[in-house]
Amino acid sequence: MSVSEEFIKSILELDERKALEIARRRLEAGEDPLKILGDLTIAADKIGEKYEKGEFFIADLVMAGEIMKGISELVRPKLKELGKVREVVGKLVIGTVQGDIHDIGKNIAVTMAEAAGFEVIDLGVDVPPEKFVEAIKQYNPNIVGMSCLITVGLESMKKTVDAIKEAGLRDRVKIIIGGGRVDEYAKEYAGADAWTNSAAEGVRIMLKWIREKAR
Amino acid sequence: MSREPVDELIERQRKEPEAVYKERAEIFEDAVNLKTPARTPVALFTCGHFFSKWFKPSVIYFDYGKIKDASLKLIESFPVDFSVMAPAAEGFIFSVAFADAPEIAPTIRFLTGPMHDIVKDKYTRWPGRELPEHLPFQFIGGEYVEPEEYRQLIEGPIDFVNSVVLPRACENLSKPGSALYVKSIARFAFEGSKFTSSLVDINAALAKNYGLPPFPATFAYAPLDFIGDFLRHPTGVMLDIRRHPDLVKQAAEALVEPIVKVGLALKPLGAKYAFIPLHLNEMLPPKLYNEFYWPALKEVILELYKSDIKSFVFFEGDHMPHVDTILELPKGWGIAYFERPKDFIKVYEKLRGHSCVMGGIPVSLLHSGTPKKIDEYVKKLLKATAPNEGLILAPGVAEITPETPDANLKALINAALKYIGENR
Ligand code: B12
Repeated sequence: MSVSEEFIKSILELDERKALEIARRRLEAGEDPLKILGDLTIAADKIGEKYEKGEFFIADLVMAGEIMKGISELVRPKLKELGKVREVVGKLVIGTVQGDIHDIGKNIAVTMAEAAGFEVIDLGVDVPPEKFVEAIKQYNPNIVGMSCLITVGLESMKKTVDAIKEAGLRDRVKIIIGGGRVDEYAKEYAGADAWTNSAAEGVRIMLKWIREKAR
Repeated sequence: MSREPVDELIERQRKEPEAVYKERAEIFEDAVNLKTPARTPVALFTCGHFFSKWFKPSVIYFDYGKIKDASLKLIESFPVDFSVMAPAAEGFIFSVAFADAPEIAPTIRFLTGPMHDIVKDKYTRWPGRELPEHLPFQFIGGEYVEPEEYRQLIEGPIDFVNSVVLPRACENLSKPGSALYVKSIARFAFEGSKFTSSLVDINAALAKNYGLPPFPATFAYAPLDFIGDFLRHPTGVMLDIRRHPDLVKQAAEALVEPIVKVGLALKPLGAKYAFIPLHLNEMLPPKLYNEFYWPALKEVILELYKSDIKSFVFFEGDHMPHVDTILELPKGWGIAYFERPKDFIKVYEKLRGHSCVMGGIPVSLLHSGTPKKIDEYVKKLLKATAPNEGLILAPGVAEITPETPDANLKALINAALKYIGENR
């Protein structure tokens, strides 16, 4: 088994100590940090798949998310030190909407988007519309992501999109919504551009948008 | 239109409440004892959201008198056979804080709006307080304890809750020994007792006016949920299980005793069933469930059972992956209430003759279906589970919304009255 394969395997087995150890070893051996982040993308994809197939439970997702976060934190300073910047494919501002504090799914979406090369600005939970608007002004993202798991959040998503429109920023961003309580109807109601119940699919949609824009 | 059985029951429960009371008590008893009741009981639980059909959330959660009005209205319009209506939030940690005071522990098991105002806990948010007036309360939990503090919990859970957790989780209890602390804790217990008296009064009125037998409940908890809901947040426990497995196990084990104490507190007053709502169950893979969650919960259930208290467990979410473990309990151990297992009939078949099984009615069907669809659904369900021994029909606790059409709820009750014996 190659180091890369062993590394991915340890993440999928949720062996935190081993995964972090291998990451550390690879960095010390002078391996390209970008290669490690590439492996993280593969692992994140597989994790999403396992959850969709019912092999992983929520507790597994939470642990996997922590492990990937830990690895990113190890790799990032090394990247800086080497003066390397990972090619940022796009910028994503994300948050769980006002009234909703569920963040397990959102955190996974963050990790997977980062693994796929997005620069992610995470606004946390219970995020009011104004905060989304401010963040768009401050960070100028390509994409805004909203997570929503409770029915009450539908109204918040609509209010957020309306606030973005009012601020005259709607044309600058694509908007994707995710989480257990979103569907086609929620997308229409809120005025978003896409919806998903899967972080992996969400990342695919976002990458597609970035490619379309580049053309 | 011809008069339907549900309309007859509405009239009968008003005209002859005593006879209806007897009938309901019997079918419930039969179901719990795994027999085929004369008809399949229908249960309805609410944490109050449904009451906003009649009263604003900012009113109903803060006015016990209105709770009585709403409860009577509910049973008057929807004559279910078994009901627990507690428009209040999860507050089991307060019971554990008072586990050595059995006269108080069970009275503060649920957190009402006024109780929230008194201690200013951060576990919950309420309409007209932290939330807009039209929303039901929310339980948001939180992280109040560090993994390093498990040891202290293990050494003395009741002291730990009182001296470490509650001061962090409740604004008005932040300084133990201060005047504000003493005032708040005393008022809190007083308010709990007021709420409990109001529930006793409501139950008496429901029995007298509409022949609804009260449910002789006491309360317990799954130890790991206690940690997830009140100390470490669900995601915190999920990580702790993997990072500090031994501490988590010992902590769960240490909580069994105080939880059982709370569960037994109401026994002298005739309590027969310990209500245990589960939270983390569906979130854990079987391997972790079997190693960290189930053993301590099982111990609680068995301890109570030894003292003649059966358990009434609400299996939140999809409990399908863990359902086999229930068979480890002695036959007739209690009631297994399923929120939304992937396949209710399969679950029923597995537990048939072993556990009383409750559930089977998807909230979405009641919310968005039609009376005809509901009738067909119930008919099919009762046929598939015939002769329905040990079965109680119920939608999940997870809130029948006030928008649920009256005709749909009535159709559910109606179908249970219609499809019995040969008609199944
Ligand atoms: C865990 C949980 C909690 C935890 C939250 C812990 C946390 N930090 O997140 C706690 C216990 C605190 C909680 C509290 C409450 N909860 Co809750 N909770 C759940 C539960 C069990 C799991 C949710 C979850 O994490 N799913 C797993 C994740 C991975 O799935 P996901 O979010 O869909 O995410 C995936 C994708 O959608 C995507 N994704 C998510 N967001 C985004 C965003 C973008 C941009 C993209 C691209 C992708 C993406 O990525 C993920 C991976 O693929 C669900 C029931 C269930 N089984 O779904 C109820 C549930 C969501 N809760 C519910 C409720 C009602 C509540 C409460 C209001 C309960 C109460 N009465 O007090 C409170 C209040 C919370 C609030 N104000 O927000 C209801 C919602 C019903 C409704 N329609 O409104 C549910 C459905 C349970 C139920 N059946 O009643 N809850």
